[in-house]
Amino acid sequence: MSLIDFSKSEITFKVVYYGPAMSGKTTNLSWIFRTIPEKVKGQFTSIATETERTLFFDFLPVELGTVKGFKIRLSLYTVPGQELYKLTRKSVLKSVDGIVFVADSNRDRREDNVNNLADMFKNLEDYESPDTPIIYQLNKRDMPAIMPVREIVDDLQLKGKAIYLGMASSGVSVMECLKGITREVVSKI
Amino acid sequence: MEGQLSSLVVTKEDIETIDELFSQYLVDSQAKDLILLNKSGELLAKSGAVTRESAVAVSALAAGVFSATNELAKLLGEREFTLTFHQGKETNIHISLVDPLILLAVIFDNKAPIGAIRFWAKKISGSIKPVLEKMASGPRQEPSQDLRKGLQDEIDNLF
Repeated sequence: MSLIDFSKSEITFKVVYYGPAMSGKTTNLSWIFRTIPEKVKGQFTSIATETERTLFFDFLPVELGTVKGFKIRLSLYTVPGQELYKLTRKSVLKSVDGIVFVADSNRDRREDNVNNLADMFKNLEDYESPDTPIIYQLNKRDMPAIMPVREIVDDLQLKGKAIYLGMASSGVSVMECLKGITREVVSKI
Repeated sequence: MEGQLSSLVVTKEDIETIDELFSQYLVDSQAKDLILLNKSGELLAKSGAVTRESAVAVSALAAGVFSATNELAKLLGEREFTLTFHQGKETNIHISLVDPLILLAVIFDNKAPIGAIRFWAKKISGSIKPVLEKMASGPRQEPSQDLRKGLQDEIDNLF
């Protein structure tokens, strides 16, 4: 749910990075945090377990700049990917404006991608938000045992959807995805 | 089904009214900070010494905690829990539902008894409810066409 605050001339959008465990959602946010200038980023909040897996969510507020006198802010979240945290994933998705689905290109994660995407659509349906803008990042393209893009596209039924090939650990397509989803969410206002 | 609005519009008048009420209640209740947020975790208003940066993070976490608590409520057969309370050695936080979309977080030290904080949270919620009802009744101020077009045209320049 975008927040349009006329008193401060600000518009805030909520963007959630969704996807299976270890697909690179937190890595996307960490790259954004390292890349953007100090003055436009807020506090990076991460609730992780001792093994550094996301337990609740990561949160990074970002100020993009000013358009026609309005400050444009993004609240970026990740969800915990592990099966165990199904309900937490649902709660973070509440009132979302846009989603970056981070799929893992590794062949052995094929089923996890499919299940996690189905879980996301089920949650959006429960929130009556089936029209939420979604873009797809096929991450870890630098790994040795990955699936060809067309195979993932078929698996996840992504034909005609916005797809980015990513290597989030080295920043490939991270900012492009952020820009892509921002463009989608602002078009909904 | 758990529907949600696509936008929440807050006007200058809404925020001025809330700020005024918060300033008064901050003194009366002896709370350290008052933070108003929506269920998606966005900060709407704050009063007290808390910085904007901290209040933004508190809002995201408080909404997350509240939402997770409500999943817990459903598992236990409750429709929803209307408040959560966390007690520390020196600082406590009381998060309560003001209306279906909005939460109030009251941060206070150990000098105030919990009963008093619950009383004040209820009183503050009652006072700001009419303002929130106006907000929820739908946008009374729409983003201009100029702004909509500017967002489309200028998004590339922001990256």
